[in-house]
Amino acid sequence: MSTVVDPAQQCSGPAESGKEYADWQALLERIPYARHLGLEVQRDDAGVLVHLPCREALIGNFMLPALHGGVLGALIELTARVAAQSRDAETRCPRILDSHINYLRSAQARSTFARAQIVRQGRRTSLVQVTCWQGEKSKPIVSGQVQLLLPTMATQQEDRHGH
Amino acid sequence: MQVVSVDQGQVCMRLTPQSWMFAQEDTNEICTSVLYSLADSAGGLAVFAGALELMPIATLDLRMDYLRPVSGDHALLAVATCRHLTNEVAFIHCDILSEGKRELLATANATFMRNTPGQQFRADRLKKEGA
Repeated sequence: MSTVVDPAQQCSGPAESGKEYADWQALLERIPYARHLGLEVQRDDAGVLVHLPCREALIGNFMLPALHGGVLGALIELTARVAAQSRDAETRCPRILDSHINYLRSAQARSTFARAQIVRQGRRTSLVQVTCWQGEKSKPIVSGQVQLLLPTMATQQEDRHGH
Repeated sequence: MQVVSVDQGQVCMRLTPQSWMFAQEDTNEICTSVLYSLADSAGGLAVFAGALELMPIATLDLRMDYLRPVSGDHALLAVATCRHLTNEVAFIHCDILSEGKRELLATANATFMRNTPGQQFRADRLKKEGA
């Protein structure tokens, strides 16, 4: 059985993923909080993804044990940010405006993967959908939508004049 | 993260910024994900504060609005309130403010499932009961 991948739906095709992989890695390396979490960029046949290796400091519930919900939120937000920034022609650093995250299954204390899909990349904003899974890709554990603002002259001035 | 106060249905937590929490190398802006974690933690505690019992809970969803960029100059305060409680669900609102300036930085609305013992938890309890 062959699957048809709609190029508009996918963040990248295999041909482009080499450059995208390098871009993502460079962007992620510049985020201190991403380094603290140990996030790393990986590649598979469907494109680039972000890997969150599991370690004890990231556990939120030792009784289950389960990853902290906030860590998964961070994985989604940072994946969305890197996806939006790498897609922007001027690689402007976006500001996260809001995020809405749904927890679908319990997150076990193990490796977690995140893939971004850009719903819409506009001139001023970007909406990114991120899905995370652990064992099977078909069983997502968390999914979220992140709205980002790409800086323009107007927003930069606003920031300078103390919001 | 420190717990400042726990009142009936309301929790206040405090977080001192560290350099590893920054969003970018050349600024001292705090990463939004740090506020997200703070809201999730304070929200979870507010469920216990509202229910006045310790039972396993799980975040069902969390929506954050980041009102302004957050600098690492001030400590962060999260005030989480349990808005409504049913047997199964808790509705939480959380405001994140800058200490001293009392400026609203971000708001969160979250829904938590109550009484969600995981498989491991259930297995442990069965083992204990069987013994």
